[in-house]
Amino acid sequence: MPSLQRYLRSIYRVGFRAWWRQLQYIGDAKSGRFVGQDQFGNKYFENYNAEEEVPGRQRWVDFAQHHYHASQVPPEWHSWISHIRKDPPTEDAMMTASRQPWQQPWTENLTGTRGAYKSYNTAAPKINAWEPKSTPRA
Amino acid sequence: MPFLQPRLLVPVGVFRSIAATHARALPISRRLQSTHTHRQPQSTPNYLESADGLISDLTIRKHHRERTPRKFDAHGNELDAYKGGPSAIDKAVHLFFFTEILRGMWIVLEQFFRPPYTISYPFEKGPLSPRFRGEHALRRYPSGEERCIACKLCEAICPAQAITIESEARMDGSRRTTKYDIDMTKCIYCGFCQEACPVDAIVETQNQEFSTETREELLYNKEKLLANGDRAEAEIAANLHSDHVYR
Repeated sequence: MPSLQRYLRSIYRVGFRAWWRQLQYIGDAKSGRFVGQDQFGNKYFENYNAEEEVPGRQRWVDFAQHHYHASQVPPEWHSWISHIRKDPPTEDAMMTASRQPWQQPWTENLTGTRGAYKSYNTAAPKINAWEPKSTPRA
Repeated sequence: MPFLQPRLLVPVGVFRSIAATHARALPISRRLQSTHTHRQPQSTPNYLESADGLISDLTIRKHHRERTPRKFDAHGNELDAYKGGPSAIDKAVHLFFFTEILRGMWIVLEQFFRPPYTISYPFEKGPLSPRFRGEHALRRYPSGEERCIACKLCEAICPAQAITIESEARMDGSRRTTKYDIDMTKCIYCGFCQEACPVDAIVETQNQEFSTETREELLYNKEKLLANGDRAEAEIAANLHSDHVYR
């Protein structure tokens, strides 16, 4: 529930520097429990106090990069921040058990950069140009 | 308006008392039209109804005059179906003074004083279902072997015909795909492919942030789909496990 009291209380809790950083990114003074940090340095918070946060704004991320993008959240944390899983991946037994040794590191959506995916054919071509093979004359 | 009860008004704050008295004072127009649910007492056989007591809308419409309900009490006196309801003047007042529009505008005014439910998106995300159907991925077995056996059921069931599969026998004799293309611009994200798949190979992940700048980047091939699965395997497996009791 947004109110002036909540705003000032959040500033008092997180401190002036963190509040200034929040103003640059989230645009609102939010305070809550620090839940965890992923491999990219994104920090995740939650606040389930109904007096302070409306449903849908209870979990949030503080991106490590200045050029933030929604796909910078790795899938394990994505299912936490999208309210798919109740527990964060550090405490979720099912999520840690599902992790495979051959799993690849997450990459953000690289469209518009040189790392963007470019489609190609994975099958051998069915039609080939005729390459004449002539036996040399004796 | 038989269904518009004054309960729709949810007054808050200082308007609570005003609105409550208003809502009680407003007479409700309960019945503007007669209903056809009553059976008419009659001696002649009713040819309009079939044997099972059902009657079609067309028949009712055609014989509207004959089906006007008339109630009689025990002494044979006709009862007024409109007795106790709003008078014609009441209905005319509601009609000519646009009270429904004013009630609607009152709801708008209430919303103006309520806190917004705006979610600041990349930082906070709305709730998703574990069954959410987003970007596709091809999964692997825990051993690292790819699951897809090129049965082409997904290709057959795809209503948008977005999937193209070609297969070959591998060196060890197992049939695998050489080409597994999904045209994500054709895909309608119906989820039929993951339901058709007998080995849970093709799944739709919860990733919805795969928008691209060019159209070509949405023509996914097998490598891209396998890479999607390799990156998000933990999330996919956890979601499938949380939902497996319903499948």
